[in-house]
Amino acid sequence: MTDLLSNLALGFSVATSGMNLFLCLIGAIVGTLVGVLPGVGPLATIAMLLPITFGLPPVGALIMLAGIYYGAQYGGSTTSILVNIPGEASSVVTTLDGHQMARQGRAGPALAIAAIGSFFAGCVSTVLVAALGAPLTSVALMFGPAEYFSLMVLGLVFAVVLARGSVVKAVAMVMMGLLMSMVGSDIETGQSRMAFDVPELSDGIGFIVVAMGVFGFAEIMRNLEQESSRSVVHAKLTGLMPTWPDLKASSGAIMRGTVLGSILGILPGGGAVIAAFAAYTFEKKMAKDPSRFGRGAIEGVAAPESANNAAAQTSFIPLLTLGIPPNAVMALMVGAMTIHGIVPGPQVMTKQPDLFWGMIASMWLGNLMLVIINLPMVGVWVRLLRVPYRLLFPAIIIFCAIGVYSINNAPFDAVMTALYGIVGYWLVKHDFEPAPMLLGFVLGPLMEENLRRAMLIARGDPSTFVTRPISGGLIAIAAFLLVLAVLPMIRSKRDEVFVESEG
Amino acid sequence: MSEGVQASPGVPRGGSRIRDPRDFYGGLALIALGVFALWASRDLPGMHGFAFGPGTAPRIFAIVLIGLGAVITGIGLVTEGAVVERYEISGPTLINLAYIFAVSAQTFTYKMVALALLVLGLILSVIGLMGPKRNLVRGPLFITLSVLIFAVAIRPLGLVIASYFSILAAAAATPEVRWLEALIWSAVLAAFCVMLFPIALNLPLQLWPTNLSWASLLSFR
Repeated sequence: MTDLLSNLALGFSVATSGMNLFLCLIGAIVGTLVGVLPGVGPLATIAMLLPITFGLPPVGALIMLAGIYYGAQYGGSTTSILVNIPGEASSVVTTLDGHQMARQGRAGPALAIAAIGSFFAGCVSTVLVAALGAPLTSVALMFGPAEYFSLMVLGLVFAVVLARGSVVKAVAMVMMGLLMSMVGSDIETGQSRMAFDVPELSDGIGFIVVAMGVFGFAEIMRNLEQESSRSVVHAKLTGLMPTWPDLKASSGAIMRGTVLGSILGILPGGGAVIAAFAAYTFEKKMAKDPSRFGRGAIEGVAAPESANNAAAQTSFIPLLTLGIPPNAVMALMVGAMTIHGIVPGPQVMTKQPDLFWGMIASMWLGNLMLVIINLPMVGVWVRLLRVPYRLLFPAIIIFCAIGVYSINNAPFDAVMTALYGIVGYWLVKHDFEPAPMLLGFVLGPLMEENLRRAMLIARGDPSTFVTRPISGGLIAIAAFLLVLAVLPMIRSKRDEVFVESEG
Repeated sequence: MSEGVQASPGVPRGGSRIRDPRDFYGGLALIALGVFALWASRDLPGMHGFAFGPGTAPRIFAIVLIGLGAVITGIGLVTEGAVVERYEISGPTLINLAYIFAVSAQTFTYKMVALALLVLGLILSVIGLMGPKRNLVRGPLFITLSVLIFAVAIRPLGLVIASYFSILAAAAATPEVRWLEALIWSAVLAAFCVMLFPIALNLPLQLWPTNLSWASLLSFR
């Protein structure tokens, strides 16, 4: 406990240094800005703004990127409530009750509850990250290659199970990602693999290239198909403060949302989007009168908003302790860390305690800043929505192009991003989910390395993954989950005819 | 890449054996990708005793992908599903591939292949732009062209020119484009990029053309 306190004290001393405080603020503001604008997800933003952090010290860079991430969760909810446009996928459910509240003239309390819920969730999950950091790191040190491999298999299975739609297609996406990650040089022999003598490919396909293409460009292509008819409804903001009954009604929802979000954030393959959906559904099931939901129930705002913020933060836990990114945004953070010469994993906490604890402390500060800056700035964000998409998307494209180019000074990477944009667009058209692919792509090299090492240690006996207790346990859980996910699919596929898939 | 497979949206329902074209063609494309990967890694050494070789993992993943692709194709044959949402990406895909060929070309033949891909891609795009799906063609095509302009121009011509024309090309991606506005907006954005990236962030980006020559323009790097 004293350890924890002294660690947090170290963290706060790092995070409150003038420079880092400023970067945290910038991150939170930029994140909110991006969160407000629909069609630019946190993933594309982090990828786009990565070059900005090149010149910064590693701690500052990561603090800023983290700020962008949770700022985006936050900004997304503002537009969900005020104008019924979710800025982010993770705040889609907030539109259901949040916008109804706004239409009933209760936009103020809705925004305030979203802010309070997010802040509460942020505080709890910050403590959780700090508390779980040390024990999980010591667990990670006991892991051998076999355990690491099995853990990553479990992570990918989680991603598959939690993905929307067909399990087979999600597994196929993971395989596609793994396969693409094989391009480049072999780790052990240095032999060039599937690179066709293209020098730009000898180091593999860049993660940012794939992420920005599949999530950034593909998203723009999808948006351009629709007529832009964004009417901005003017919701009058009167009285920000929620009433006492409001607070009482939402306190339980905030708690439950925080717990659910924290758990789903830690699980590999989870993340803010799923957390928000799960929290909303849970709240609706819990309610005495479920029919209130969708008509301006304040719990319907409190729960998902707490959950997505909690999940956004706890998803840093597997990354910082085990070095395994649980979702696509964290995978991008791996990229950011690598650029700054940090190898994510258990050694971060012991070798760079200032980075580890500084980042955790900055999360709490960032959440505080979000509450303080954003409630008064709501009007500015809403006005931003009036910028027509035809002006917005060329800016996104050029920032992405410059961003990708400047990572390696390679024009080739920019064109590859465009190609991946088309691939991502195609995937969506054929109902494949790109998120598992990206996770497979990131985990691919790590998985191969650990698989090869484990096999070498076990002298070519693949049963090592099952007979070693920890590894065997992880594989068993993975297999169980997969069976659980596949069984209902096989059963329902037969009579699913004509059932519309949920959008 | 496996974008050659074009799902035709107008597959007749009922009489046709393909019940879910999204899955059917999607699965076929994955099979094609897996086969392509197997072919691309054909020269890599495989297992060496009980140690993995460089080719082992790629082959495992490729074979599993082919298997899953086959399952998905099969599912597409037997279960009913939605039609493929309309899209048209053959032109921009070929144009992107043309650039990749042009960059990696070491022989005259490859350069000609690149040229042929480019011409074919442009022809398909123009046909698409004149056809009934013209608004669907625009997005992927002009985003591709925008990035391509940036990639080809940034080294020889510098950031100012590259970003201006790149933004202009991107603006054409929506049928709602207003040209005068786009011309001005491109200039504003290009100026902003100049202020942000090379000046404020100190990224090593050249602003104006230097040592311009045909060789530097045609190297595409």
